[in-house]
Formats: sequence, C-alpha cells, structure tokens
Amino acid sequence: MQKRDTGEGGRSLVVDAVTHRYGASVAVENINLDIRSGELVALLGPSGCGKTTLLRIIAGFVRQTEGRIILSDEVVDDLGPKRRRIGIVFQNYALFPHMSVAENVAYGPAALGMGKAEREAEVRRLLELVKLGHLADRLPRQLSGGQQQRVALARALAIKPRILLLDEPFAALDKNLRLDMQIEIKRLQRLSGITTVMVTHDQEEALSMADRVAVLSQGRLEQFASPTEIYDRPQSLFVNTFVGSANQLNGIVVSADAGRATVRLDAGAEVVARTPAGTLAAGQRCLVCLRPEHLELGDGADGFAAVVEMGLPLGPTVVHEVRGADGAGIKVSEPRRAGVALRETGAPVRVRPAAPDLATAYSAS
Amino acid sequence: MRRDWDSFSFHLAIGIVAVLALVLLVAPTAIVIIVSFTSGFSLRFPPPGYSLRWYGELWDAWQLHFAAMNSLKVAAAATGLSILLGTAAGLGIARSQRASAKMLDSLFMSPLVLPALAFGLSALMFFSALGMPVSPLTLIIGHTVVCVPYVVRNTVAALSQLDPTLLECSASLGADKVYTFRRITLPLIRPGILAGGFIAFMSSFDNVPVSLFLRDAATDMLPIRSSAIRWCACPMWCATRWRRCRSSTRRCSNAPQASGRTRSTPSAASPCR
Repeated sequence: MQKRDTGEGGRSLVVDAVTHRYGASVAVENINLDIRSGELVALLGPSGCGKTTLLRIIAGFVRQTEGRIILSDEVVDDLGPKRRRIGIVFQNYALFPHMSVAENVAYGPAALGMGKAEREAEVRRLLELVKLGHLADRLPRQLSGGQQQRVALARALAIKPRILLLDEPFAALDKNLRLDMQIEIKRLQRLSGITTVMVTHDQEEALSMADRVAVLSQGRLEQFASPTEIYDRPQSLFVNTFVGSANQLNGIVVSADAGRATVRLDAGAEVVARTPAGTLAAGQRCLVCLRPEHLELGDGADGFAAVVEMGLPLGPTVVHEVRGADGAGIKVSEPRRAGVALRETGAPVRVRPAAPDLATAYSAS
Repeated sequence: MRRDWDSFSFHLAIGIVAVLALVLLVAPTAIVIIVSFTSGFSLRFPPPGYSLRWYGELWDAWQLHFAAMNSLKVAAAATGLSILLGTAAGLGIARSQRASAKMLDSLFMSPLVLPALAFGLSALMFFSALGMPVSPLTLIIGHTVVCVPYVVRNTVAALSQLDPTLLECSASLGADKVYTFRRITLPLIRPGILAGGFIAFMSSFDNVPVSLFLRDAATDMLPIRSSAIRWCACPMWCATRWRRCRSSTRRCSNAPQASGRTRSTPSAASPCR
C-alpha cells in the first residue's frame, strides 16, 4: 500500500491494485490511486476505458475482482453502497421525479433517520448553498438542467458524505452553462473541502477543474499527475495524443541515453526528445510528438522544409497546416499578431521546435 | 391544382373511414341508452315512446341487486389478490435476466391465451380432485388466475420505465431495500399497478366462463344472470324474437344493434321476476 495523507476536513481515498473483470474481458487492470483529503481528482479517458467501472467500484455498486478500496484508513470492500456514505451526482442526475426539490434533498437524511426539524434545517442550508432556496417546492421536471444538477449536488451533500463522486457531471449541459457549473462546483468543493472524484471524457473539463488527473486507457492507468504535468510531460504516447493535440512525426534514433534521445526526423532535421516511456536504442524507429504550439515557422535554414497547405486564424492564435518533405501533415500554432498576413498556400517554410526540450519520443510499434 | 386534388381526395377518404368507424363503434352504445328509455316491452329502435319505467323496474329487481353485489364482491376480492400477487410477480420478473423468469412470465400470462371455458372446466376438475366443493372461495381463486396477467403485464411495463439509477441513487443515499421500495419504486409504478388493477376488476366483473364452472348455486353473478336473459323464455320474448329474426332472415332491420348490449341493460332484465 502506498503512503497517504489524512488531513483535516475531507477524507483520503486509496484505490489499491484494483482489477475488475467482466467474464473474460478486463474492465480495469491493476489501478493504484492515492487521493489526498480535499483533493479533486478527475478520471479522464475515452469511452470504454474503464473510468465508469472504477467509479462504480468506489461507490460500491460493483465489487472489484481484486484489490481494495480504502476510505480514510478503512477498507470498505465489504460495505454496500448504502453503508459507504459516498455522495454521488449521476450523469442524468437521477432526481426522484415524484418528489419536490426539498424532498429530494431530504431523502438521504430521512433514510438515515435524521429528525424532522434537523432535516428541514439541513435542507434549507443546502438549498441556500446551491442558491435554490426559492425553488424548494418545485418538481425536478420544472427545473433547468443546471438547476437539476445543483439539486443533485445538494442531495448528495445532504448525507454528509465522506467523499463525493461526480459521473460525467457536465455532459448534459450546454456549453455556456457548463462553465458556470464548473466554477460553481469547484467553489462548493473548495468551500466544503470534500474529497471529490470526477469521471469525464472531456479533457478541458479535467484539466481546468481537477487538482490531479488520472488518465485511463483500455482499463489501465496511463498517468496520474497534475494537469500541467499531464499536458507538459506526458508519460505515454496515449496521454500525449489524447490530452491536447500532438503532431506525430516518424523518425529514427541517432543516439540515446537515459530519458533522452536524439532523433533524425524523416522530414529532415534532428531533434532532442524526452523518452518517458522507456529508453530507446540507437537505430530504432520512433514517433516524435510535438504539440502545435511547440513548433514555429521560420524562413531561415534551421528546422526542416515544408509547404504551407492552409492557414486558419483562430482569434488569438493562427494555425498553419503544413506538409513535410516525407508527406506528413503538421499543425503549427503561433500567436497571431494583428496586421500580419497568413502564409500563402504553397509557400515554402522551415518548421522548427519553438524551444529545446519540448519534443517527446516513443518507440514506434 | 393536381396537388389540391390529391390532398382533397386523401382527406375525403380518411374522413369517410373515420366517420364510418365512429358510427360503428358509438352507435350501438347510443342505441342501448336510447332504448333503455323505451315505454314498450320490446327492444325496438326507435322506441315507440319514452318513459323511465324500466329504471323503476330495476329499482325493485332484487335478484339483479343480489347478483350485482356478488359480482362486485368477487371482483373486489379477485382484484385485491391480483394486485398483491401480480405486483410481486412483476417485480421479480422485471428485475431478472434469468431464463426461469422468462418462463414464469409466460406461465403467468397463459390464462390470457387459454380459452376461458377450458380453464373454467379444468379448474373445476382440479378443485374437485382436491376435494374442494365450489364456493365463493373457488370462484375468487379462479377469477384471480385470469385477472393476474393484467396486473403482471402492467407492472412489468411500469418497471421497465423506471430508471435503475434512481434505485442506485437511493442506495447511495443510505436507504435500504424496503425504504427504497416504499419511497421510490412503489410511487413510480403505482399508476401501472392501478391500471392493471382496473382492467383486472373489469375482466372479473364481466367474467362468464369461469364463474359458470366455479360458482355454487347460491352465488348468482351479474354477467351470468344477464346472459341468461337471452335463454329465459318467459319475459324475454323481445330478446328471443330478435334472435329468431336474425337467424332466419335479414328483414327485421330495426332492433338488432342493441341486442349485443341487452345483457347489461336493466330494461331487458327486470321482467324475469
């Protein structure tokens, strides 16, 4: 078991070597997460990566095949969902349609046997917290999506949960509302200091909200780190391409030592790249990932030659799609300066990394 | 111009079919109601004159009252039992993926497929093999068997509309199974159960074939008494006349539509006294 931090306020959550199989297929494989108290962690991955299964295991709806779930020093594997005291906001909110907003929020406390007067005071406090005090008597179907979500959140918080789970919390909201709710939920999470695990397939959501992001792919944990670490120093080709966008350039390793390799790109030019996923051998074929903003276009002699195919002005930035000598399409994103014209289609340019140490190389397989 | 004609002919055809359907469905009911106010003895339409005399007769028809009370009691008991058993069965079937659940589903539905007369006869043989004489109890059991499918079907349909995450959500909020059933499942499927119960009640209240075999001599049932009106020689010359005229020729054109409803019209029944 790994070290963990049990601070004040929230509870820590440890996912200890959890594996789950549905028959012969493995849904999650040997996942280790050490979530500190008060932290907001996002489980990020494409659909089918096992993030929802992991959430359901933490909630107690699914019993994992192997491994343990430890909630503030207590192994909770043998506790059903009703005894774990974990608050969950479901993707479709799962509000009880026949109950008013206040009754929905009061449901958990009532089930746990809280007295009526205490319950009503608690409901009022929570509805004020999510700014829905004036809608207490409405039915869920009379509320907007954002309001429904806030009711679901208040209801989950009403049982004074040890941790909070959010299942794709913003998927059902339209874009403008989504940002408001992200800020709102982050605010409430900070305010209550409750340890929160959020499942999402939206990388922007994960990067903007979470303190740490766990990237999953095909049931395996690819990387568990802070959002900037995930973006700047991806540990695997999957993370590098799934989070943010990346140009993938083929090349051959010229020389390599621990954690670093010099690669000769097929398009021309040599780059020095980090090799986080394992040391490469000289002479080996490899893939070099460079994010669009890590490249720049120039007219000098350094870098490699390419031809401009298209220029897209995106407000603050401009993206040029260029084609290298080996036929690879490459996106280059640069800050746009007012009055500077886009490069013309067909114009020859040189492409070079904007700074050393930005490229990452993975073995081509 | 051409499109106008297309649209016109389309609406014309639909309109004609709709009016036809309405007339065929509504007319018999309307005729029964009108004929019930007849002043004459026969079920002639249009009636020779209008009066409330047959409603007065109904007021005094104690046999009909007795039969109706029996029918109501049996229907109420059978409906209550059906709701209890059918809802329980529906809950079990709807949640299960097992083959046994599918089999049980078909088993509970089988009374709908089986001819009711065949069921009535076999139930009578079954009870007598058990040494149970026919009684109100056997009658209620028989009615329950044929009424349960309606409740099961409606409960299963209502449960399939129930979002399973609501139940998970309830559990995560600390509720046990009983609490979840009482506060979430039952309130949400109640309309389905009540709809099933209503159909069950009507089908029991209206049931002839099962009652025919499973009632005892003392338990007169309204639908049996009403249908007996057709065969009863003394008072029902009106009804028998109708039967004769339909079986012999089609010349007699004025009364027939009403006959399908005669068994439940008070006017036809009262002369049986």
